[in-house]
Amino acid sequence: MTNKPSNEYKVSKPERLFSLTCALLYTTRGLTKAEILRSVRGYDTEYVEGGDNSSLERKFERDKENLRHNGIQLETRIPAHEDENNQATVYLIKRESFYWPKDIRFTPRQLALLNLAAEAWAGGSLSTAAARGITKLRAMGSVGEDSDIVGIAPRIQAHEPSFRDLNNAVSDYQVVQFDYRNPQTGEIMTRTLQPWLLHQVAGQWLVMGFDEMRQDTRNFMLRRIIGKVTPVKLARESKTFEPPAQELIDAAINDLDALAKRQTALIKVKPDTEAWFRYELDLVTGKKTDEVEIHYHDIYVLAEQLREYANEIEVVRPESLANFIRAGFEKVADQHA
Amino acid sequence: MPDEQKLDDSDRFNLMLALTGLLVQGEEYEIAELVKHFGVSKSEIIKAVKMISFTDLMSFNDFGHYLVDYDDLDDGFVSIKYDFNNAVDEVPRLSSRQASALAAGLVYLSSLPGLVDNSEIEELQMILASGDSRGASPEVIIKPGSRDADLITIRDAMAKGVTISCDYLNLRGVTTLGRIIEPLRIDPQGEIIYLRGWCSESNDVRSFRVDRMRNAKPTEIPISAEAKAAELSDEIYSPAETDTIVTLEVDPEAYSLIFDFKPVEEPESVSEFTKRFKIKVGDVRNLGRIIARFGGSARVLAPESARAAVREFALRAIGESTPITPRDVE
Repeated sequence: MTNKPSNEYKVSKPERLFSLTCALLYTTRGLTKAEILRSVRGYDTEYVEGGDNSSLERKFERDKENLRHNGIQLETRIPAHEDENNQATVYLIKRESFYWPKDIRFTPRQLALLNLAAEAWAGGSLSTAAARGITKLRAMGSVGEDSDIVGIAPRIQAHEPSFRDLNNAVSDYQVVQFDYRNPQTGEIMTRTLQPWLLHQVAGQWLVMGFDEMRQDTRNFMLRRIIGKVTPVKLARESKTFEPPAQELIDAAINDLDALAKRQTALIKVKPDTEAWFRYELDLVTGKKTDEVEIHYHDIYVLAEQLREYANEIEVVRPESLANFIRAGFEKVADQHA
Repeated sequence: MPDEQKLDDSDRFNLMLALTGLLVQGEEYEIAELVKHFGVSKSEIIKAVKMISFTDLMSFNDFGHYLVDYDDLDDGFVSIKYDFNNAVDEVPRLSSRQASALAAGLVYLSSLPGLVDNSEIEELQMILASGDSRGASPEVIIKPGSRDADLITIRDAMAKGVTISCDYLNLRGVTTLGRIIEPLRIDPQGEIIYLRGWCSESNDVRSFRVDRMRNAKPTEIPISAEAKAAELSDEIYSPAETDTIVTLEVDPEAYSLIFDFKPVEEPESVSEFTKRFKIKVGDVRNLGRIIARFGGSARVLAPESARAAVREFALRAIGESTPITPRDVE
């Protein structure tokens, strides 16, 4: 019993990618490009023996990239006796890099949690990647109707247009460039970054990485990126970077935490206002106070948050914070005059 | 279950890999079951199964096929038999993007109070890392937000199916004591956690911010039939007929407003990076704080009453508010 489509059937891209995956998993010695184009469904009918196959070859290059984005690691080998011959390069997929380690199964509760984790991205920047990931995981078990997590619809807020491009660049170790606006001067500068990770601090998305101009670790707030994030090219190839050591990343995160521990503002709050609630002064037990100390990463973000409670608070220190808050209001008043 | 996804070519390829991994284990499934399980349409499942069955490698004489019984398929059942090894015969790993997106989602869940144990999340993170083809650590980190004790009370009440009473501070700074809310769903959106609840006074679903609640207590009163039957939209704010249409202009620093308020129509680009859009607002007086907080990167263009609300808020904040003229108090 063999299923055969009719003769006029046009092989679609997903089908071609699937056949390519099967072929490269199946082979133990590897397949040359010519062998692949000649024999794998989706290429074979267009292949011209001894003719010009350059458009087919370009299709194969794109397909390789597609497989990589799907988490499939292609291995290339040049047989030892053919070391001068590019045509002899063979491609294959190693089973151990393709499948999950043995014995991994998810409990219904775990799958339900992963499901919820994927749904948290719904409509957001990583919704496609999350949906594809969960599709694969669902093939590994049944989703539990966990009463514990019914009735929750979490949404991660990551709408910055640069989020997805940066996330892809982090995955691909791709050096990127973008225009960045200085919050104080308003000056826009082009920055070149080796992006390591995206993280959310105090409600703001930051990209952390190695700033090639400053030759140091830096964080950039995604909101302040103006326009597109573009990959840096070197001789038409994407410029990539060496993955950073985990210790470097950990140290950079610790530095940021230490910064927030060091930087504090003191504000005075009018009793029984919304700010009083927001800073939970109504919950303070023991000695009553109308002052609250706030740790911050970024003084401009704090100024923004405090502007909401303008008439309910007074900044005791630092003076620069009070000035930024005021300057912002003056600008708004002018714009709406 | 999520809504059925719209699939593109990469999604379909991904689905084929997943389906093959599941079906080669030898079990027979009802198509309806797979539709529910994978959250895709029936036609997508059938298409994927057919494409899997067409796989053929001409040059390998010993390469078999994934055999699908088309009569069973017509009857709504699917199983795959295969007569070879060394092609797709298990579930493939995740790509690092896929693993990273799920890992970030998990970190976000762990930041929600009382939902899951951190040990549970850590275990899942480890499994995900082992199934990431690159074996890397998470690339997206979300810091846990503040923990709201009242949220645990609400969750308990929801599990028991009873209403809650709480003190609630509204936007105008007025606290209502002992307000009764029938809790329906918790909607954490970024840093803010909303409770969607049925309000029996207005006979409608309302959104409450958990951080504005105090003294939440479960009551003995079960959740009403009206509340259970209520439709929950994804929008936190539901516009009313009487809403005012306001035109806003934002720089990238204030793009978040586009997502906080669903614009009436697609935002329009007025310069390279500045966007303009219209939103519906219940009470323009609330716009003052919402716009003024951005300190210049968000502007109200029209109507004049909304511009005045923003101007007044900013001027009052710097102590330059114009005195109220008799015209304003008529």
